[in-house]
Amino acid sequence: MTTPSFASFSQAEIDAVRRDHSSAFPTLRSDVVFWGIWAAVIAYVVGSLWFFEVYKLFSASDRAWRLLSSFFVWRDMDEWMYGQIYVGIGQTIGMAFLGTFLGSCAALGIGFLGARNTMPFGFLRQVVRRVLDVFRGVDQLVWGLVFVRAVGLGPLAGVLAIFISDMGTLSKLYAEAIENIDRKQVEGVRSTGAGPLKTIRYGYLPQVMPVFISQSLYFFESSTRSATILGIVGAGGIGMIIIERFRAGLYDQVAFVVLNVLIVIAIIDWASRLIRARYIGQAAH
Amino acid sequence: MLQFENLTKSFGAKSAVADVTLEIPDGQMVGVIGRSGAGKSTLLRMVNRLNDPTSGKMLHEGRDISALKGKDLLEWRSRCAMVFQQFNLVGRLDVITNVMTGRLYHHNIFTSMFSIFSAAERAFAIRALDRLGMAPTALQKAETLSGGQMQRVAIARALMQEPKIMLADEPIASLDPMNARLVMDALRRINQEDGITVLCNLHTLDTARSYCDRIIGMLDGKVVFDGTPPQLTDAKAREIYGAEADEAFSEGVTSTALKGTESKRANLRLAAE
Repeated sequence: MTTPSFASFSQAEIDAVRRDHSSAFPTLRSDVVFWGIWAAVIAYVVGSLWFFEVYKLFSASDRAWRLLSSFFVWRDMDEWMYGQIYVGIGQTIGMAFLGTFLGSCAALGIGFLGARNTMPFGFLRQVVRRVLDVFRGVDQLVWGLVFVRAVGLGPLAGVLAIFISDMGTLSKLYAEAIENIDRKQVEGVRSTGAGPLKTIRYGYLPQVMPVFISQSLYFFESSTRSATILGIVGAGGIGMIIIERFRAGLYDQVAFVVLNVLIVIAIIDWASRLIRARYIGQAAH
Repeated sequence: MLQFENLTKSFGAKSAVADVTLEIPDGQMVGVIGRSGAGKSTLLRMVNRLNDPTSGKMLHEGRDISALKGKDLLEWRSRCAMVFQQFNLVGRLDVITNVMTGRLYHHNIFTSMFSIFSAAERAFAIRALDRLGMAPTALQKAETLSGGQMQRVAIARALMQEPKIMLADEPIASLDPMNARLVMDALRRINQEDGITVLCNLHTLDTARSYCDRIIGMLDGKVVFDGTPPQLTDAKAREIYGAEADEAFSEGVTSTALKGTESKRANLRLAAE
């Protein structure tokens, strides 16, 4: 049974195949659904853009240009308060590091409480998971506002906000990692007569460690970025400095600060890669 | 006719393919044998230009295919289908779409980006699948298939290209003997019924002997044997395979020969271990 060439494939043959394998061909209905969905998506995108007055983007070119250029023309650089700026950046890194470090340590413990295979009591596990949902569901910025009220303006509020939200997300990630581990390795450790805690330490922990390290490092980098925003609601760090300069119209200084933050994040990213490669190996990125 | 003239591919100081000159007439089924690292894969991959030659020429019907660029190169690839050892299907796409990717060269940006295939293409794909007994799986995700099924879908994709030449790079090395035979039978049938030239890398001698019109033996990138299966003596084969000779001769490992003795031999091997 040879097939005729594609060019000489007749309508009769196409119809014959279609009759025998109708499910492999689109029907009028599936075509209408396919194109209908596309048309609806495009209509929604265009409609929303119009609703949000996208044309302002084009009429604002003059103002936008002035704003943009003031980011790049740096004036009176000798009067900028560098000390304040670098203390702010240091504070931000400190907030991110403390918040993430404490958050991921706590999350490691909570992860075991929230994983099906290490927490036999279903009710307790559900309680842990729902509490984590609250930590995670409320945005970091909102936690920032709450803690500014509770402990006052300054970096402590930021540390607490990062701690709570990182703990919520990391606990969930760790719990899932713990549920996905290889049972055989755990059994091997248990067979030696190790108790529950020792089994966790030698059977589970080594398997979860790569996820723990790489996620914690990623969250440290991400928290450094979000700590910038936390400062804007008064939770300390470089964000306070950015918002002050922005309100005063000192866009050149804002640009300088943002540039510094970018450099810091690049350094953290580079260092994380080194640590990951060292402890996890090249393959597990 | 496909011609190689002093074809060479070097990786640094090492030559994977060294000064190969060959002529392959249309419609021939050629088996390329040799131990791992002999340059078989590199030779095949150069034909459809997944690897570029370092020097020398490849001619197809007088046209220099080693110098093709841009659209001409894509056109050549579409006419020179490739089947891989690891099947290389897109697991997340369904079987029929995998097969229809064989027509992508003929599509424009719009129809390809929105995955719009004509009724004729669907019917043609079903026909190609049907030839390999795979039409019932057309709507399944490719990743749900077994190895042998995947390879048959891969051959259907190659057929969809309506190729002049079909390249098969160790097509049965990852298959069990039963599926290996199905796949080799399919390649042989396509070669005979459609007159498509088949250039096939094979690790085992036995398969090459029973399926190919012509056998080319490679050793360290050079062609050291070129002839019909009867001309390939055991002594010559041992020279080609060197230290791997025993593995290549014991066809049980990956071979297609299901001659009843096969399962017995497998049992014996298990018992010996």
